[in-house]
Amino acid sequence: MSSKETCRNELRTAIRQLSDRCLYAASKWAAEQLVGIEQDPAKFTPANTRFQRGSSSIRRRFHTHESTLTPASGVLHVSTPVMEEDEIVDGDIYLLAKTYFDCREYRRAAHVLQDQIGKKSVFLRCYALYLAGEKRKEEEMIELEGPLGKSDAVNHELIPLERELSTLRKNGTIDPFGLYLYGLVLKEKGGESLARTVLVESVNNYPWNWNAWSELQSLCTSIDILNSLNLNNHWMKDFFLASVYQELRMQNEALVKYENLLSNFSFSNYIQAQIAKAKYSLREFEQVESIFEELLRNDPYRVEDMDMYSNVLYAKECFSALSYLAHRVFMTDKYRPESCCIIGNYYSLKGQHEKSVVYFRRALKLNKNYLSAWTLMGHEFVEMKNTAAAIDAYRHAVDINPCDYRAWYGLGQAYEMMGMPFYALHYFRKSVFLQPNDSRLWIAMAQCYETEQLRMLEEAIKCYKGAANCNDREAIAMHQLAKLHCELGRLEEAAFYYKKDLERMETEEREGPNMVEALLFLATYYRRQKRFEDAEVYCTRLLDYTGPEKETAKNLLRGMRIAQTSSPSLDFEHFTP
Amino acid sequence: MAGVLKPPGAFAVTPHKVSVCILLQIYAPAAHISVPFPFSSVAQHNRLGLFLLALTKACDDIFEPKLEELISQLREIGGLLHHWLTDHLTNKLSTLSSPDDLFNFFSDMRGILGGTDSGVVEDDQVILDPSSNLGMFLRRCVLAFNLLSFEGVCHLLTNLGIYCKEALSNCPPYEAQHLDDSSNDLEVLSQYENMDLENFVFEKVTEEIEARERASKRVPFHLHVPKALCGLVEDIEVLVDPKSKHGDKGREVCQYTHSTSDALRDIDPNGGMFLRTNWQIQGFLHEQANAIERHGGSYSFNAFELIMKQLQKYAPELHRVHYLRYLNSLYHDDYFAALENLHCYFDYSAGIEGFDYVPPSSGCNSLGRYEIALLCLGMMHFHYGYPKQALEVLTEAVHVSQQQSNDTCLAYTLAAICNLLSETGISSTTGILGSSLSPFTSIGISLSVQQQLFVLLRGSLKRAENLKLKRLVASSHLAMARFDLTHVQRPLLSFGPKASMKLRTSPINVCKELRLSSQLISEFCTETSAMTNEGDFSTAWLKNLHKPMGSQVLSEESGSGSFNVFQCCAQPSSIPGSVLQLVGSSYLVRATAWEIYGSSSLAKTNALVYATCFSDVSSTSDAALAYVKLIQHLAVFKGYKEAFAALKIAEEKFLTVSKSRILLLKLQLLHERALHRGHLKLAQQVCDELGVLASSVTGVDMELKTEASLRRARTLLAANQFSEAAAVSHSLFCMCYKFNLQVENATTLLLLAEIHKKSGNAVLGLPYALASLSFCQSFNLDLLKASATLTLAELWLSLGSSHAKRALALIHGAFPMILGHGGLELRARAHIVEAKCYLSDPNFSVSENSDVVLDPLTQASDELQVLEYHELAAEAFYLMAIVFDKLGRLDDREEAAASFKRHILALENFQDEEDPLVNML
Repeated sequence: MSSKETCRNELRTAIRQLSDRCLYAASKWAAEQLVGIEQDPAKFTPANTRFQRGSSSIRRRFHTHESTLTPASGVLHVSTPVMEEDEIVDGDIYLLAKTYFDCREYRRAAHVLQDQIGKKSVFLRCYALYLAGEKRKEEEMIELEGPLGKSDAVNHELIPLERELSTLRKNGTIDPFGLYLYGLVLKEKGGESLARTVLVESVNNYPWNWNAWSELQSLCTSIDILNSLNLNNHWMKDFFLASVYQELRMQNEALVKYENLLSNFSFSNYIQAQIAKAKYSLREFEQVESIFEELLRNDPYRVEDMDMYSNVLYAKECFSALSYLAHRVFMTDKYRPESCCIIGNYYSLKGQHEKSVVYFRRALKLNKNYLSAWTLMGHEFVEMKNTAAAIDAYRHAVDINPCDYRAWYGLGQAYEMMGMPFYALHYFRKSVFLQPNDSRLWIAMAQCYETEQLRMLEEAIKCYKGAANCNDREAIAMHQLAKLHCELGRLEEAAFYYKKDLERMETEEREGPNMVEALLFLATYYRRQKRFEDAEVYCTRLLDYTGPEKETAKNLLRGMRIAQTSSPSLDFEHFTP
Repeated sequence: MAGVLKPPGAFAVTPHKVSVCILLQIYAPAAHISVPFPFSSVAQHNRLGLFLLALTKACDDIFEPKLEELISQLREIGGLLHHWLTDHLTNKLSTLSSPDDLFNFFSDMRGILGGTDSGVVEDDQVILDPSSNLGMFLRRCVLAFNLLSFEGVCHLLTNLGIYCKEALSNCPPYEAQHLDDSSNDLEVLSQYENMDLENFVFEKVTEEIEARERASKRVPFHLHVPKALCGLVEDIEVLVDPKSKHGDKGREVCQYTHSTSDALRDIDPNGGMFLRTNWQIQGFLHEQANAIERHGGSYSFNAFELIMKQLQKYAPELHRVHYLRYLNSLYHDDYFAALENLHCYFDYSAGIEGFDYVPPSSGCNSLGRYEIALLCLGMMHFHYGYPKQALEVLTEAVHVSQQQSNDTCLAYTLAAICNLLSETGISSTTGILGSSLSPFTSIGISLSVQQQLFVLLRGSLKRAENLKLKRLVASSHLAMARFDLTHVQRPLLSFGPKASMKLRTSPINVCKELRLSSQLISEFCTETSAMTNEGDFSTAWLKNLHKPMGSQVLSEESGSGSFNVFQCCAQPSSIPGSVLQLVGSSYLVRATAWEIYGSSSLAKTNALVYATCFSDVSSTSDAALAYVKLIQHLAVFKGYKEAFAALKIAEEKFLTVSKSRILLLKLQLLHERALHRGHLKLAQQVCDELGVLASSVTGVDMELKTEASLRRARTLLAANQFSEAAAVSHSLFCMCYKFNLQVENATTLLLLAEIHKKSGNAVLGLPYALASLSFCQSFNLDLLKASATLTLAELWLSLGSSHAKRALALIHGAFPMILGHGGLELRARAHIVEAKCYLSDPNFSVSENSDVVLDPLTQASDELQVLEYHELAAEAFYLMAIVFDKLGRLDDREEAAASFKRHILALENFQDEEDPLVNML
């Protein structure tokens, strides 16, 4: 890994170059990482390290496996020389164009640059044209809404842009920024493999353009594609890989990468947020919450990723924290899809589902491909018992991203609610396929098989086994397994699972009807097996509980004692409950 | 749709509609003349009117025609006027160059509408009635224009520019007049060149598709599928023309590949293409759905998928597209795609996506009709041969339908369950069907599957009658007839006073049910809504423009001429296709019934009726079935040569049908012939191929499975491997017994008798033959009974000459049936056995009654030679030679002996022979 100092220098140059080309998002990202690099406290005034106070504490708290984090030795990091500018001093015309661009007058900017031949000018002209086309596309999407839904408006600039950029690439007079734009255009047009090649070319020549990396990431839809990319080793590649792993639902791999990156960028909010995202997928809510608390302390006006934080608060039922968060983002920027989503979550937690649907709708109006809003809206409709609308919302989510296991699960749930368990199975199967480590999904599927209509108990047992294998938090699976085996007359298996369930309840110190049931079953089972000592243990434990079971236990005990003292051949079947 | 509400106006002004408005203005100018200016006769005037009507109704495509297409159509109908019409149209279009021109144009349009309240109408005034079809169209256009925002008007203007430019760039005479700012004019032109090239390629593809289509005609996997679909579209009936592909499909397809493969190389896709009205698109989809269901796998998967994807892109909320894609993948055996699309369709539409408009608010509140989804899913599983899943799903459908009190869906679901139970062998349904379905399970009596099926059939029939679902009633009657055909009616309850009942199937009931189902043809009208025939009518009318004869006659000025042509080319049948299909299938059931009862001539007649009268409405698989029956008849009565000739024709006709019965028939014929010629290796090979055709799931493809093992047993028998043959037949009998296949039981028993006969254990064979006879009796299998009698006679005969009299009596008893309905083989066998009986009778003297023996023997040898049945032919000639020897006719004897030798040699050296049919495998 390159030293902090080189990273810092590279990023500083890159930020200048990126903002010079009006690639604002990329330069913002680079600047965030720049400040994320740990400073030498001796050299800097406290004002400089102001942004770095909080993150270190998060790091300390969750930095548990330090030893594994040493970067793999032997990986040769290519140090790409910082690109030389072709125009040392920006021409006057370029300056004018840039001001137009900054005022979002894209066509004017492009027009001004029409006859300029410098690479930078060509890029800015093309980029301005592209953005002008995008803007017009957005407008047309509203204007062209047909009777059967919105038809796809297109960016009219794509064709001329593609033509120009491909000629430039052929002539070899294209810079990495031009390649990035070319890749973007190709991706929009559907030429995915060429787009990937071009983007790889771009990031290999100029690795600091995060925009190019994220376009490339959106084109890596499978691990095979990722492996086929021919990328130079640069520290930016690690950021890329981490984000691709996350997208491919390889959360643990992503976490390892991020932890590695933290050694250089220990104060990066971006990395913290990504770690939170990965932990959220692993359902480690406590940690996610504290990461977000720290993040907000450092960066109180952040809206990005805050919808996930609200999901965590929702899951933990923190009313006041959620309302506080909602208020804060509302004051920061109420017309961000994330803000609407947070407010929707808040209303949902308060049980005001109609209102929450209104806010999710607003989020979707702002971004109709906002996946989690569709899914959450589906949940709201389920709460409102409007299954048809819920199904519609979930289906939209699934069509946007067919890997969204929550939406598949929601679909299954909705159909199950309508009394169509067999039909629902299709959806549960999908969600389990996508997320085989989530016990809730297995349990939902098992319950479907168990319904009065289907009674496919063998299949249900298989599903519960699946749930039991993946750390079933609510401990439903064990109990159900025991019960089902008991129902099917396989007492030995039933006893096995009851015992396991009991052990678990003991370690987790939980009490309840399940405990009584397990004890009672085991007591009768062992008595029937003539293992009176074991039976007695369970019976005595049952005596601690009140209710009819206590009486049964007493009867059992008495029966056993009589059996042991008098003739053992007597049958005490009638004592069983 | 839950997310965003649709705007109420589902009608958009497009350049094509502007064109139609211009033509309407020509058709009905606000002037007081009976025949307005450019027209010289009333007929000509009316033709334009009809053309306009057709334009607004036709549903042959999803896109509106381009200007050049419209102009070429105008050429067809306009005759001498077409120059004037096109000039006027293009001029008028090119004058529309600013938003204000459009405003003025549409306010002029309002002028040609007659006022609703002006009571006085002068006689010869041409007035567009505001409530007529064309008037409504005009009003909708004007209204839609008035609702447009300024942006909308700007878009319309741009689109008009593209619309004209495209047409003009292809027509040199008209110079482009208003090519605005575009700096990429040249590029557009160059793209046109590209497009033409691709167009050419796609035209070829379309040609191929159409050729394949022509090669095949055929149906739904069962009768009520189209009906279920109708339920979804609120009972719209659109008649389907099998060649519904319009000439410009190639263009669409090509357009599509432009917009996806290299997405936007085309000029603005929104500028060039416009969807037709919602009504027309729904009509198109419905037509296509019917076509897919009828033609099954012969429909080109990819071409249609392309159109559907394109449509989906243009109208993302038109969810029926998913249904069509489901059907398409279903008939192309793409299980996963079918499943995905089905779920997708019902998730989005909730089973209530209706025809023209769904009130937007209702989408949110109503609960949806997901039971239809279950019904479809059940039928899908059934189609793919998963009866267990199908039954699960259908049971769920019953529950949900009952919960939602959707009686119609319940009736269809019950019918589907009946169909499932009757088509697949399920040995036990206990615990699968809910107790609410039959009254008997609730009182604790378990019924056999067949009894349950009977109860269900009765129940579903009654339900359908109550709900007045005529088509369902008809198909229930058909199902009932099929049930009665092979089942003996017994009292359902096994206690209480027993009515004396003959345990026989009742052909009378079958006839009654068939007759009842045919009554549909006079009753269907109550169920059909009138609205859709128009669309189909218009489509047919527009299509006929492209027929050469149309333009010839129509260019004449004579009015009557054009009307005649109009009527004869575009007469739509007044009977909906689904009704005809049902009536047709009753003929197929009739043919099958007669086949089982043993009247081959009546079976043939009914199959012929089907093939001639219903082939254009029937699905390809049903048509194939009729052909199969006819060819089988040929093989049995005329020998293999003719059968194979006919088979060749049928094969070409049904080239693309998947799971083809034709293939099965070919294998059957090849096997039969190989057995007769003694080519056992080939026979074995064919048998193996037959066995592979069947699905491996238990209970599915029972017909195929019994057929395969029956043939395996016969091959083993021919190879003299008696114990193996007996073992195979035995297991076959067990299977048939398990799944209650009684007719097959009779055949199997007869085969067992044959095996014992041939192995020389005549005594063991007798009980089998007798059992088979009694089966035949109770199921009225008259022809099979005759052949069982024949076998019985042979068995008796082989017990010794003392039984010859008894055998002869048996044969004579069966002769009327055998000679009347039997095929070549059966007749020949009967004749030989008769001769053998006479010859083995010690009291019989050859010299006195030589004709009694010789006549049947010559007849048998002739028939067997046609069949190339060497073994039996040799036997006949051998007997003949002996008789001739006894009679002292030495020349004849030598001749017969030579024939005997020839057949024996052929039997032994079949490899040497050149057999062209061997390659057919």
